[in-house]
Amino acid sequence: MFSAFKSIPTDMDYKGQKLAEQIFQGVILVSAVIGFIYGLFVQQFGWTVYIMLAGFTVSCFLTLPPWPMYRRNPLKWQPAVPEASGENRDKPQESQKKKKHK
Amino acid sequence: MNTVLSRANSLFAFSLSVMAALTFGCFITTAFKDRSVPVDIQVSKVMIKNVDDFTGPRERSDLGFVTFDISANLQPIFDWNVKELFLYLTAEYSTKSNALNQVVLWDKIVLRGDNTKLNMKDVKSKYFFFDDGNGLRANKNITLTLSWNVVPNAGILPLVMGSGHKSLTFPETYETTKSY
Repeated sequence: MFSAFKSIPTDMDYKGQKLAEQIFQGVILVSAVIGFIYGLFVQQFGWTVYIMLAGFTVSCFLTLPPWPMYRRNPLKWQPAVPEASGENRDKPQESQKKKKHK
Repeated sequence: MNTVLSRANSLFAFSLSVMAALTFGCFITTAFKDRSVPVDIQVSKVMIKNVDDFTGPRERSDLGFVTFDISANLQPIFDWNVKELFLYLTAEYSTKSNALNQVVLWDKIVLRGDNTKLNMKDVKSKYFFFDDGNGLRANKNITLTLSWNVVPNAGILPLVMGSGHKSLTFPETYETTKSY
């Protein structure tokens, strides 16, 4: 069963990472502002914490799994120098998967 | 940010920083508030005895008995940064041997969500009103005040005195204990 999990790709390309970071920072900041104003209105700090936690959960759902929108700009690798003709015709995504770049 | 764990780490750390900033904001909105309310204290019975005091250096000390009524509305003090109030009733007086004496007679904890209208009648003191010596008899000016300690969610814990006090006088003679 674990081999099925390992084969699910979990990485994103660079533009996707930037988008994911902007998304979660935006969601958490917006939920923090809403939570602060609502907590100040009902005079209960507990509501501020609950709204923040809801924002945290939403941004977890939006950015932790590798949705396809984060993988629209894959790295363009140089074509491999062919040792023998026709052997290294891999797709660019596959060669990116094999090389673990951070 | 390439792996799920790295994204989760970044997200969680950002959330904690934002939460800390919100808590600071909660503190700032209530830091300069005046937390004093008017308090009404009445005294119904005052008695004094001269008994053996095993905690002091002398054989017999004055022991006072005060029965009082307290009423106050604590609702304006509670806001989103107050967790509970610790109320205590203090008796303050001066004697020939000591210039300032302060004795706590009674205390109460009022949690957020409890009834905030304090209206207690005929309350006996919780703690012994011992004097350091024999200075309570015929003491003309004993002042009772109600103070409280505000316990916040975030920030400083102020000690606030309620506005309103009650002065009382102790009688000239001791009461002897009755035997039944």
